Amino acid sequence: MNDFLEVVVVGIGNGAVYAMLGLGLVVIYRSTGLLNFAQGELSMFSTFIVWTIWNAGVPLWLAILGGMAGGFLVGILLHQVAVSPLGDPHEKPLAVVIVTIALFLALNGAAQLIWGTVDKRLDPLFGQSQVTIGGVAIQWQKIGAVLVLVALATGFVLLFNRTKLGLAMRAVASNSESAGLCGVPVPRILMLGWGLAAAVGTVAGVFTAPQLGLGTNMMQLTLIFGFAAITLGGFDSLIGAVVGGMVVGILSAVVPQYVSTFERMPLAPAFILILAVLLFRPQGLFGSKEVQRV
Amino acid sequence: MTSTGPRWVRYASGAVMAVVLVALPFMFPAFRVNQFVTWMCLAVAAAGLNLLTGFNGQISVGHGALYGLGAYTAAILVTDSGWPMLATPVAAAAVCFVAGVVIGLPALRIKGLYLALVTLAVATLFPALVEQFSSLTGGSSGLSLVVPQDDCPRGRPECPVRWESPIDGLASDQWRYFVFLAVTVVMFIVVANIVRSRTGRSLVAIRDNEVAAEASGVNVSRAKILTFGTSAAIAGVGGAMLALNNGRVNPTSFTLLVSIYLLVAVVVGGAATIVGPAVGTVVAGLFNDVIAPELPGRFENAAPVILGVLLVIQMLLAPNGIVGQIRDLQARIAARRHGGDPGGQTGHLATPGGTGTEPEDLGSASGT
Amino acid sequence: MSLLEVSGLRCGYGIVEVLFGLDLSVAEGELVVVLGANGAGKTTTLRAISGMIPASGSVRLDGTEVLGRRPDQLLSAGVAHVPQGRGTISALSVEDNLRVGGYQRSSAEVTEDLEMWFEVFPRLSERRTQLAGSMSGGEQQMLAIARAFMSRPRLLLLDEPSLGLAPLVTREVFDRLRDVTQQMGSAVLLVEQNANLALDFAARAYVLEAGSIVVSGSASELQGDEAIQKAYLGL
Ligand SMILES: Nc1ncnc2c1ncn2[C@@H]1O[C@H](COP(=O)(O)OP(=O)(O)O)[C@@H](O)[C@H]1O
Ligand SMILES: [Mg+2]
Repeated sequence: MNDFLEVVVVGIGNGAVYAMLGLGLVVIYRSTGLLNFAQGELSMFSTFIVWTIWNAGVPLWLAILGGMAGGFLVGILLHQVAVSPLGDPHEKPLAVVIVTIALFLALNGAAQLIWGTVDKRLDPLFGQSQVTIGGVAIQWQKIGAVLVLVALATGFVLLFNRTKLGLAMRAVASNSESAGLCGVPVPRILMLGWGLAAAVGTVAGVFTAPQLGLGTNMMQLTLIFGFAAITLGGFDSLIGAVVGGMVVGILSAVVPQYVSTFERMPLAPAFILILAVLLFRPQGLFGSKEVQRV
Repeated sequence: MTSTGPRWVRYASGAVMAVVLVALPFMFPAFRVNQFVTWMCLAVAAAGLNLLTGFNGQISVGHGALYGLGAYTAAILVTDSGWPMLATPVAAAAVCFVAGVVIGLPALRIKGLYLALVTLAVATLFPALVEQFSSLTGGSSGLSLVVPQDDCPRGRPECPVRWESPIDGLASDQWRYFVFLAVTVVMFIVVANIVRSRTGRSLVAIRDNEVAAEASGVNVSRAKILTFGTSAAIAGVGGAMLALNNGRVNPTSFTLLVSIYLLVAVVVGGAATIVGPAVGTVVAGLFNDVIAPELPGRFENAAPVILGVLLVIQMLLAPNGIVGQIRDLQARIAARRHGGDPGGQTGHLATPGGTGTEPEDLGSASGT
Repeated sequence: MSLLEVSGLRCGYGIVEVLFGLDLSVAEGELVVVLGANGAGKTTTLRAISGMIPASGSVRLDGTEVLGRRPDQLLSAGVAHVPQGRGTISALSVEDNLRVGGYQRSSAEVTEDLEMWFEVFPRLSERRTQLAGSMSGGEQQMLAIARAFMSRPRLLLLDEPSLGLAPLVTREVFDRLRDVTQQMGSAVLLVEQNANLALDFAARAYVLEAGSIVVSGSASELQGDEAIQKAYLGL
């Protein structure tokens, strides 16, 4: 039983990271209607920014804020030069796929160019120590990840539901033409959406790096898990990203442990989940029906 | 290859291309010739992907997995079952056709960006699948193709794949080049015939407007699934070619990057054009195998950055790809010569599902 | 000087030209209608004026050239636009739709106006928290009008409010529109196919045919002229 619980705890820790990446994906989906295949690389890139600042002797939490600011700017820049000129993503899905994949390649290459191909070491934000609760050892880092996730999700829920910027973002996502006629500066809102998504992606990277090593490819699997999370939760639902992330995290930790067919494929349960949800409930658990634009 | 230019231009450019293709293996050292063969394998797979994504508008970021499946099918059949090498592409096509149909079934309900997501997951999953079934695939250490041969060194009954040239004066790499060139040309002719057939026109009709296609009597579900299967089969042939050429297969040869590479080849060359994937593969191959290794030490990792930036620029400025753009230009010149308006140029981008490139004979598509 | 002065407006989609040098004007507080059959170019005219599609020629507001500005920039200059089909932001609640309408104003002003509009349209008040997309066509049209007025525009561009509405509902929409414009003092440039109602509403009218203005005059002149009615208005 304790073995099982420990696997679940690992799953929850991973799930929190998937959910953080998922939050970024949802923010971009909600503001621009596109699936951002470069989100993982964006997050990797800004985590390297965090590392650079931290490596220069700045406290880690401050470095993270710096990395978020850096990620925000990179996100804005990429949106302005590459994504925005494309126009409506659902009119030209192939162009969107190609451009976000191009950004994926460019960010990955740029990171290799700047920081080299040898993995860097980034300390866990909440240290190495652990507590034992009911006979189950839990690292503080995992508890911290869940707390940070809750804080981020709450922040975004408040942003979307309680602020003027959030209102504008929701309006643009639902009907950008009308939002523009109502006086919402649509291009600027879309740009901010990308910036915010990149900023929250930083946090996902900061929690991934101590575990996998800070390398240029560290987010590629995580991205698929993040997509599985928001597919399950609903592409436009922040709460869905959190719940979906947890479910995906736990499933992909538990299933390979107990099902020998999936021993080496933690990704397989996530994949099956993506497929099943898109087939039978495309709006996910919490998404709005509108998402069924598929 | 285009219906616009004057006939003699088409024949002349075809002849020039044929001469170049024949001359290449005599002009370059063996390692280059080997790279050219690798490009052919990729070009075939890209042509398969183009059938699905370019002509039919179903986006796949997972064709690297089907390419890999074809390669592993060939490798396992040659090594474990002792199949003759040139029979394996056919088997790979059959296996991948089935796999394609299986992926194509959910694709009936999952479209656009969401299909891209699912296929992206397939691409990411493939290397893990290979490792999971390591008793069959050799896991992470890969699989070497061995064939029974009478003249194996040191009296062993079997040895690695070799391509002995039966013709005097033709080195083995040159011989292999021509064998693979023949297979590649055959595959492109197959694709061209599919595209120009009634079925091909219905694929385009589905891409442009599914409801209208259905209304005009096209069995949309059947056509989409068959396209997925056929596209996968062609990609599988490309993969089998790669396995036969390299003499070994490795899970690392079939990562997500291969899927991306194939998609890039299609888009750069020109989605929904016959020769586009070949042109795109050559451009991407030149970039990756010829230019990138020449970058000065400090910038050896700059290649993907440059590629990414170029891709973005291309999508913004020339979204129809090299072949598509040339054809647009020809159409414009022809229209000017006839004093007419260059019709059909605007609104290209708005074509749902595709990059907006028109197929060779869209005019007849409406008639299906 | 007129509030809105459009001259030589040309516009099209791709290589298809739709407007061939349009001239029209709206004075401060004036109610003007552009009549025309389906496909005449009415919607295109409004879209060109508010910057939703590229156009050439000249659109002046208080003498300042505004052609080439984005819709949100035009709104800051005092032009609100209710698009054809009402432009409901369907994933937002009724109240949030109205709040978006007041995006460029301070939240205190918005809250104040919000209450006013809920008094003017009690039915919107009842559906305050309901998703706007779930309302009936007539209710969505009222919402669209209220939302446009949330920005306190000097000029309202209104595209076929009667579209898809039952005759009784259409009449009610026009009645409310008349009350509201009187109260707010905004100028209105209405485009309509329904000539009877529109001529009752407006003071001045243009008739648009195949992208050109063919007749213009006061609403009562047009209402009195049987030849014009037969030729252009299908009455
Ligand atoms: N998005 C578009 N693309 C191409 N042509 C269009 C588009 N919208 C309208 N048109 C054409 O422009 C002309 C005028 O349309 P519109 O302004 O909508 O007319 P109205 O509003 O008077 O019915 C019509 O012939 C119509 O077919
Ligand atoms: Mg209209």
